[in-house]
Amino acid sequence: MREQLAAARPDVLLVVANDHLNQWFMDNMPAFLIGKGRVAQGPFPHETEEFGLPGYRAAGAPDVARALLVGGYEQGVDFAFSEEYLLDHAFILPLHFLRPAADLPIVPLFANVMAPPIPPARRFYEVGAALRAAVEALPGKVRVAVVASGHLSVEIGGPRVMRSAPDLEFDEQLVALVGRGAVDELLALATPERMLRAGNFTAACLIFLLLVGLARGASASRADHVLLDTSSTPFFSWNLHEGAAV
Amino acid sequence: MSRYQVDKALREMVLDPSARERFLADPMGYLAGYELTDAERQALVGRDYGALYAMGAHPFLLWGWTTRVHPGDKERLRDVYAAAVRPHGYPDFST
Repeated sequence: MREQLAAARPDVLLVVANDHLNQWFMDNMPAFLIGKGRVAQGPFPHETEEFGLPGYRAAGAPDVARALLVGGYEQGVDFAFSEEYLLDHAFILPLHFLRPAADLPIVPLFANVMAPPIPPARRFYEVGAALRAAVEALPGKVRVAVVASGHLSVEIGGPRVMRSAPDLEFDEQLVALVGRGAVDELLALATPERMLRAGNFTAACLIFLLLVGLARGASASRADHVLLDTSSTPFFSWNLHEGAAV
Repeated sequence: MSRYQVDKALREMVLDPSARERFLADPMGYLAGYELTDAERQALVGRDYGALYAMGAHPFLLWGWTTRVHPGDKERLRDVYAAAVRPHGYPDFST
């Protein structure tokens, strides 16, 4: 995937992930927030201390971020925005793997999937579609690649705490549907009730709905998943005309 | 019910080791800074994971806090915690 990203020759990375109540909290919780700061860095000190996750620091891309923000408004999505933030492991971990050189400017998009009430599945799809239109409307020939992270069924702090992949059936269904870009079936699957049954923090899978929106329902070039200790980790990639979504 | 204040206290102790130390040294003194009910205060001081979970404490914050303040054998924590929260199913934790 690192090579695929490099081959797309992006100028900017749009990185979509969920903050884990590190940066944003219920005193001021954005559903979707675009970071237009001059610096993109992380993770949080406690994440480095406890997981040994090294630091990552890249430039921001304020002009592109501002254009995407305005493009979102035009498309009916009122993104929140911020000039200053830290990116937690959900952003930093994939960046270490996909772009270890940290030489591309980053626009982060924070999606709330942890502090209910969270937006419904349809909204994630719509936000993805709005971002695609906003990317295509960027002035000049800026090449944008999208890097996103989320997860499948997972339970944290509930009765099935940290039991690996609490609902493999859900995971397999979701991976197949995202791979095919089957929007209606995904919206029918990713209901609050079904996601809760799969595990109490399964809603981070909605980030993949956002990617399906960005891909306008196109099939992914890769869609699979690997069973790990705490969950089944999916890998998706799309090669789109404008760049690459990984 | 002041679910938000419970979550706020849990988060502070997850993010900031010095807050955690202040809590462990003087739990009631530390919690005086939060607008909590007596039941919430008691549950935090007593590290009553089941009661906090049943009240709708944010499960991610509660688990993160638990792993940092649990006084007993950390190897057994997952089982201890699961047994404490299991009777309560999946309470609403929205604020």
